[in-house]
Amino acid sequence: MIEIKNLSQIYPSGKGIFNLNFTVEKGEVFGYLGPNGAGKTTTIRNILGFSNATEGQVTIQNQDAREHAAALQKIIGYLPGEIAFFDNMTGIEFLTFVGQMRNLKDLQKRDALIERFQLDASGKIKKMSKGMKQKVAIVAAFMHDPEVLILDEPTSGLDPLMQNIFLDLILEEKKAGKTIIMSSHIFDEVQKVCDRAGIIKEGQLVAIEAVNELKAMKTETFILTTSDPEDFKRISESGLKVQKKYNKLYVEKTLDYPKFFEILSKCHVTSIETKQQSLEEIFMKYYGEVK
Amino acid sequence: MNKVLFKANLKNNWLILLFITGMMLMYTTIAIGMFSPESAESLEGMLKMLPEAMIKGFGFEGIGTELTAYLGSYLYGFIYLTFPIIYIVVVSQNVIVKHVDSGSMAYLLTTPNTRKSIALTQSSFLVSTLFLILLINVMTGILMSITMFPGHLQIGPYIALNIATFGTLYLIASFDFFLSCFFNDSKKMLSIGASIPILFIALKMLSALGEELAFLKYFTLFSLLDVNRILGSGSFTVTISAITLLFGTGIFYGSIVLFDKKSLNI
Repeated sequence: MIEIKNLSQIYPSGKGIFNLNFTVEKGEVFGYLGPNGAGKTTTIRNILGFSNATEGQVTIQNQDAREHAAALQKIIGYLPGEIAFFDNMTGIEFLTFVGQMRNLKDLQKRDALIERFQLDASGKIKKMSKGMKQKVAIVAAFMHDPEVLILDEPTSGLDPLMQNIFLDLILEEKKAGKTIIMSSHIFDEVQKVCDRAGIIKEGQLVAIEAVNELKAMKTETFILTTSDPEDFKRISESGLKVQKKYNKLYVEKTLDYPKFFEILSKCHVTSIETKQQSLEEIFMKYYGEVK
Repeated sequence: MNKVLFKANLKNNWLILLFITGMMLMYTTIAIGMFSPESAESLEGMLKMLPEAMIKGFGFEGIGTELTAYLGSYLYGFIYLTFPIIYIVVVSQNVIVKHVDSGSMAYLLTTPNTRKSIALTQSSFLVSTLFLILLINVMTGILMSITMFPGHLQIGPYIALNIATFGTLYLIASFDFFLSCFFNDSKKMLSIGASIPILFIALKMLSALGEELAFLKYFTLFSLLDVNRILGSGSFTVTISAITLLFGTGIFYGSIVLFDKKSLNI
C-alpha cells in the first residue's frame, strides 16, 4: 500500500533522512517512533508529497506520492504534528472549509466524530486550548473516511479519557481495513493499536519489529519503598538488578514472579509501583545490547 | 481556480481591502471636491508658496486648471501608488508565504487540489481585488466629476491613466507574489517585497527634484507612469500597459510553476 524506497532527503545542514526502506501493508497500523529531530516529520512530508526527495521515492497504491500528490489526497487523511489552522475561523467554519476543499458531501462521519470527541467547534480556533485544537485536527483528518491515515503524534494534548476514545477509533478504522501510520512516544498506545513499529534515529531506520515481539522484550521495573535499610543489600545479593534513587529501590524483574515475590517477602516493603517504560527505551536497550 | 479558497481569502483579507479602498476613496473625493475651475488658478498660486522641491517631489508640478491633469498630478504620483502597494505587499504575503511559514499550507495541500490550482487561485485573488480597488475609485471619480463638473473630465485619457497605473501595479504584484512563492519565511518576503517598491517611489520623488537627480528616473519602475505623456498620447498608454501586463503575467506564471516544483517543509 505505502512503499518507501531508498528514500533520502538531506538538508543543507547535513541532517535529514538516509536511505529509508519500509512498506506498510493495507489494513496495517504502523507505529513510527524516534526522538525529536530524528526524521519522522521529514519522512511524513515525503509520504504526503510536500517535499522533493534527494533520492528514492514514496509510492502509495503504486503511484508516486510527490507527482500524484493532489490525486492521492482523495484517499489520505493527515493529522499534522504541529497544527496550524486558518486562525480567524471558528472550529466548524474550518471543518466546513476543509470539507468544501475536498468536495465532501456526506457530513455524517464529521458530525459523529464531533459528538464522539465532545468537540465544541463553535469558538474561534485561535482561542481554543491545545486539546480542543487537537480534536479539530482529528475530525479534519478522519471526516472524509480516508483509506490511508497519516497521524503525527495524534494523542498529544488529549486527556487520558480522550486518548482512549481516540485509540478505540484507530482500532475501528483498522478493522475497517484502513492503512495507518502513526508516530508516538507512548508504549501503551503503540502496544494497544499497532501491528509493527519502526524506529528512526538520526535519520536512519534502526529497527522494524512486530509489536508483539517487542512486548516480550519489555523488562519490568518496580519501584519499591522499604522500611529496612538492609533491604537493598538483601535484594542485590539475591540476584535481582537494583538501583537506589532518593530512598526508593528500582528493581528489575529479571526472575519469574514466584521467585521475585519470594525475595520481596523477606523485605519490609511499604509501597510498590511499576515504572512506565517507553517503546524507545525498549528499542534502544535491545539494539544497544545487540551491538 | 478554486471558489472555496477564494472565499476564504476574502474572509482573511476583507479588512485591508476595505481600509485601502476607503483611504483611496477619501483622497479621491477630497481631490475632486477641492477642484473648481475658477479657483484652480488660485490653487496653483497657493502651491507656488510651497518649497518647489516639495511640490515636485509629490508630483504636484504643473497642476492644471483642467480637471484630468489636476487629478493626474494630485493623485497618481503618490496616493494611487502607495496605498495599492501596501495592499499588494500585505496580501501577497497572506496568500502564500504566510501559510507556508505557519504550516497551514499543509491543510490546503492535503485536499485533492493541485498546487498549481492553489497558486493560481491565490494570484487571481491578489490581482482581481487590486483591480476592484482601482475600479471602485475610478467609477467614483468619474461619477463625482460628471456630477459636480459636467464636461470637465476627459474620460478617455482618465481611464487610460488608470489602465497604465493598474499595469504598473500588476507588475509590482507579480514581483511580490513571486517572492511569496520563493521564500519560506514571511519576514524575508515582507522586507524585500516592501522595500523595493518603496525604493521605487522614493527614487521617483527624488528624480523630480531637479536636473542633477533626474538620472534617477532610470532606476525606478514608476517612471513608466509619466502622467503628462499618458494623458497626451494614447499609444504611449498602450505600449506601457502591454509591456507591464506581459511581463507581469510572465512572472505570475513563473511563480506558479516555482510553487508547484518547490520542496516544502510544512
